[in-house]
Amino acid sequence: MRANDAIAGLVLIVLSLAMIALTLSFPDFPGQKYGPALFPRILGVGLIGCGILLVHNGLVARRAGAAWVEVAPWVHEPWRLGSFLLVLAMLLLYIVASETIGFIPIALVFLGGLFLWLGVRPVTAVATALATTIAIHWFFGSMLRVPLPRGLLTNLL
Amino acid sequence: MDAILAAAGLVFDPFVLWVILAASAFGIFVGAMPGLTATMATALLVPVTFFMPPVPALGAIVAATAMAIFAGDIPAALLRIPGTPASAAYTDESYAMSKKGELDLNLGVNLVFSVIGGLAGVLILVLCAPALAEVAIHFSSFEYFWLALLGLTCAVFIATEQPLKGFASLLFGLAINCIGIDPAAGFPRFTFGSVELLQGISFIPAMIGMFAVSEILRGVIAVDEGGAVLVQKIGNIFVGVWDVWKRYWKNFIRGSAIGVLIGALPGAGADIAAWISYAVSKKFSKEPEKFGTGHIEGIVDATSANNSALGGAWIPALVFGIPGDSITAIVIGVLYMKGMNPGPTVFLQNPQFIYAVFIIFILANLLMLPLGWAAIKSGKQILRVPRNLLLPIILIFCVVGSYAMTNSVYGIIMMLVMGVIGWIMEEHGFPIAPAILGLVLGEMLEQNFMTSMIKSDGAFLTFFERPIAGTLGALTLLVWGAMLWRGWTARPAAVAAPPT
Repeated sequence: MRANDAIAGLVLIVLSLAMIALTLSFPDFPGQKYGPALFPRILGVGLIGCGILLVHNGLVARRAGAAWVEVAPWVHEPWRLGSFLLVLAMLLLYIVASETIGFIPIALVFLGGLFLWLGVRPVTAVATALATTIAIHWFFGSMLRVPLPRGLLTNLL
Repeated sequence: MDAILAAAGLVFDPFVLWVILAASAFGIFVGAMPGLTATMATALLVPVTFFMPPVPALGAIVAATAMAIFAGDIPAALLRIPGTPASAAYTDESYAMSKKGELDLNLGVNLVFSVIGGLAGVLILVLCAPALAEVAIHFSSFEYFWLALLGLTCAVFIATEQPLKGFASLLFGLAINCIGIDPAAGFPRFTFGSVELLQGISFIPAMIGMFAVSEILRGVIAVDEGGAVLVQKIGNIFVGVWDVWKRYWKNFIRGSAIGVLIGALPGAGADIAAWISYAVSKKFSKEPEKFGTGHIEGIVDATSANNSALGGAWIPALVFGIPGDSITAIVIGVLYMKGMNPGPTVFLQNPQFIYAVFIIFILANLLMLPLGWAAIKSGKQILRVPRNLLLPIILIFCVVGSYAMTNSVYGIIMMLVMGVIGWIMEEHGFPIAPAILGLVLGEMLEQNFMTSMIKSDGAFLTFFERPIAGTLGALTLLVWGAMLWRGWTARPAAVAAPPT
């Protein structure tokens, strides 16, 4: 998936304007005409400049026949699109649910789900998911003492 | 002398040596797997090294990256797929050699010249860095401001194909670095009331996202597309290497020199060093017509260059705190987290630490010979590891690594957001490295800029009054002028070119 440079440029311009607008409330250094707002404003102006040039390039390309949005071939293949979305979904699931469910169950779902979708044979998928989860839990949880969420297994661990 | 002994004491410790060995094996694996890069190896190592003292932490990164850059040559010869972007310049050449039945010679030359190229890079690093530090100790905020700006300028204009997009990427990195408490007045900016954003963008999760997660997103949509491994027995790889050395030792010197130079330039690293040295080799070769047909000459240049670039990149990183490539950008982030601000004062206050880095570099390059040999011998097995198992494992490692940096899901959120942004950027031809450089250098740039503004009472001309600052400033403006001129004159051609 690839948008025309003009769209990318427009997004940049809007974001930069928003950033500059936010700096309006920043205070100046006492007795000076500038303050914490100066640096972000300079960056914002630079980004707007880039945005304008990108819009220009994009429009030139558009006139030469480029599409507004070019869709990559893999988007039309359900399995590949699914792989892409599943990675994002699993990450979101981990963010939302890891604290309540705990690391071990969520990692098993995370790994097992991705393995199976990507075409790993079920036995291998389950075995590898288990082995990886235990190894990571041992390495990060026990060796490096990272407080991995316990969740449902609080009483067991 | 005391410092060198102290450094040796730090390095030759069983734990440190064990870490270096483990990191080397890890680096070889990551480097040899197509789609996993040396930068990604560093990003994945950081959460682990975070819990170590500085010397083993740096040892792990140095060893892993040196191995990864060499190991990238193995799939280039066997699969025609570079293991890391640093091998891309001569992948076709390597594969052509393999098809001609010269696989052994190719791998032998790649290994041996990677080792001595790496050592050449270290040699220059050892010779130059302390001398430069003596100069740098007199620098004030004006010099550092120009130095950071010049570094960022080089990163955009030399290291990227599309300077405009590189520049936008850099400004984006600098802009998101503004999130959090500002370095001059302590005012919270763009935090939207979030406590976590007060400390700014969490650097390591952001980098894991941009370098690793975006790569995984690209990887899963092509998980079943691998090349077929060349079926060829690997014999004694060292036969004939000596003859290549006798014939092409000048290429080795030229390649290593180019490598160190490109490596030391901020933003440009091993991959660009390989491309440029390969092109130079072809241009000055007596037999340029043989290039592309499985000719060893260009490989000697390029494989020496990409390993020497690693050492070169550490020169500005250690002396000025300005990273020479994306790997050292991560290293600088790690150093800041460990409370060791890179810069000339480290050379005075903790010289044993600098020498320890030198010793690790030499050790890692020597270690590359046996480990590289073993990796070549088991290359086919490494390449048989299925990617559909590997990618989810790396992903969960990224998740846990990011979590470990903040001990909260905030790290994972940061990783995911930056991963998606990184993926979108790459899809649209915006290079990621300038953004990371901006994220690393942003605070230094702004702090020195604001300090200088306050010192000079807002008069911008004061930025040019000190001799070195003035020279650096003029140089920066000159590069800007040259690039604008080039952009202006090249404009019609760029417009005529078909959109890619």
